[in-house]
Amino acid sequence: MERKLNAELWDKMHYLFRDYNDRMVHVELHYDFEVDVEALKTVLICFFEKAPVLHSSFKDNHVSPYWIVKPYRIDDVLSVSYPDDVEAAADDFLTQGIDPDSDIQMKVAVFFKDGETTICIIENHMCMDGGDFKYFLKAFCKNYNDYVQNGISPVDLREGSRSYDQVYNDFSKTEQRMARNLYKNVCSKDDHKFPLTPDSIRDRSFIAKRKISAEKLAKVKASGKKHGATVNDMLLTAYFYSLYELANYSPYDSVTISCAIDLRRHIKDVSDEGLTNHTAWMQCNVPERGQNIFQTLQYVMHSSNQFKQDKFMGLYGLPLLKLGYNILPHAASEEIIKIGYSNPLLAMSNIGILEADKLSLNGHEPTDGFMTGAVKYKPFVLLSATTLHNVVTLSMCVRGNDEDKKVVERFFDLMEKNLDALTAE
Amino acid sequence: MQNFVEYIENTFQGVADDGTLYAYKRQLLSKMTERANEVTYTGLRDEKVLNDLIISEFPDLEADYKRFYAEYRKKRREKALNRFMIFGSVGLILILIVGFLAVGFLTDMWSPAWLIVVDGILIWVMFLLSVAVRRITDLRRLFHPIARVLLGIIVMCGTVSLFLFLLAALHLSKAWVIFPFGVICIYIADAVYATYTKQKLRIINYLIYIVAASPMLYVMLGGLGIIPWSPGWLIVPLAILLDIVIVICAMANNAKYKYKPEVDAAWKEN
Repeated sequence: MERKLNAELWDKMHYLFRDYNDRMVHVELHYDFEVDVEALKTVLICFFEKAPVLHSSFKDNHVSPYWIVKPYRIDDVLSVSYPDDVEAAADDFLTQGIDPDSDIQMKVAVFFKDGETTICIIENHMCMDGGDFKYFLKAFCKNYNDYVQNGISPVDLREGSRSYDQVYNDFSKTEQRMARNLYKNVCSKDDHKFPLTPDSIRDRSFIAKRKISAEKLAKVKASGKKHGATVNDMLLTAYFYSLYELANYSPYDSVTISCAIDLRRHIKDVSDEGLTNHTAWMQCNVPERGQNIFQTLQYVMHSSNQFKQDKFMGLYGLPLLKLGYNILPHAASEEIIKIGYSNPLLAMSNIGILEADKLSLNGHEPTDGFMTGAVKYKPFVLLSATTLHNVVTLSMCVRGNDEDKKVVERFFDLMEKNLDALTAE
Repeated sequence: MQNFVEYIENTFQGVADDGTLYAYKRQLLSKMTERANEVTYTGLRDEKVLNDLIISEFPDLEADYKRFYAEYRKKRREKALNRFMIFGSVGLILILIVGFLAVGFLTDMWSPAWLIVVDGILIWVMFLLSVAVRRITDLRRLFHPIARVLLGIIVMCGTVSLFLFLLAALHLSKAWVIFPFGVICIYIADAVYATYTKQKLRIINYLIYIVAASPMLYVMLGGLGIIPWSPGWLIVPLAILLDIVIVICAMANNAKYKYKPEVDAAWKEN
């Protein structure tokens, strides 16, 4: 008999985002040894069985969409190859998409070269966000190690509800009622765009990356500490300042960048939560560029601190979305939500630290790696940041052309320059 | 499969079996075997991992058995109730007809005696509908409006049967007041149902029902001579006043749950 899974609110929302991005979350990890492919397959099968949404097909039913759990072969999920150019092979793999109605929602590629391994994974954002994907990777590595080293079956993966309303569970009754009544449209209304070329059918997805060295990060941290700013504030400041220069915004323009926030901050214990999305946007706004980058930093800190003080940070749009999806059939509610929702043109997601020790396989920590969000369709952009071994990888996934690549590279140059300026004092 | 059998048997060692446990064990074993076949198809080769994986999907058999047992008992009760409703309907009609004929022949009071058949059938219909209401209430919220309509029909049947009894058996000339009373009862029943099943926005139901019931109450009390027709009509504006009071109270109560975020003001001017 067909097994169905409920399509949760965030599943539907990310499905709606199909007009703005390719809905894939990407990760690339490099190891200096050859991993055991059979063990990887075993762990993956167990995880797919523990999280059936990963081998389900999304049915866009006009009344109420749902997932149908599908049979699969592990060879459809995991591919192994020995390319000459690992970087090109990894890029090719990472920039592909997975249709929501396909039978599997995650693909893994293992590339071997010169005794080293590169593992690339893409997964449908409808299944889980970066926060849970990080957990998935850590659990994956832990289970792999336990299996390979001690013969322990790799069945230790979180299971539970994927519902959006888990974020309310740890509030008191009064707080729950308050939070569930926050009917507010919190979309960014800013029209400032990243200066990419117009859309073209010749555009291809690409992932642009830039490393910020451990030394530079240490300086950023030290300088941030001096100003009472977090690394996130510093990156955001450099992002703002670079944008003013790159896109020639008037210095007196107010600009907003939407920052992804993890709603798990409201959940005390996530151990009985299923893999899902719990992400919202925080609108970080500067009223003007400021006379210098330090004034921009003050604006950024002011804006983000105000959000951080809010007890219900990130929970504002949820009741409205829930209402939108509840009162009408899915097809109609999508249209209604599209009217009220404006996807942020400029966004940032600081995915955070990829803990090298927890991502080690068989005692080998990853030598390099990064995680990044979906490939955005122009004019939308998302800057992702992950940190591994104290090296920050800034990445931007864009569907564009060579000209766009140059613009993004120029943007990264400006980011580096402005981070230097922030740490110069 | 042997591992699954051992896992099941070990878990239920010493648990008394009234036949339900065996049925549960059989069902569980076939579920586990089916899952094992599914997972084997994916390409999993390690037998130990396969066993551990499947067993991990059934971690708390005792709690699962309790649920199965409760469900099993519920199904049996429902089957018995279904049988009772089918055979009871036929049996009741026969008994009512026999009762009607017996009373009629013995007392020669054919006129009120027909009440035995009509009221008997109406009460039986109320019982059948109440079973339907209970079962529909157990379904998804989407189906609850059907239950609410059926609940209205139940009240209507009760009203008609009471009206017939008062008119035919007791010859009360003011038996007609039962009908406005019945309408009020329909509103009350629906409001109680909405409260019991925690329907959203049920306060709107209350507000409409209070105003809609007030003319019925006015007619009923006026008809019975409990209140004079004038100024008895004040019941209607009083109902509207009551609605206003309820709305104000609800708003005051909701205001307690209004959250004023710290974020709002400062950057709006920008």
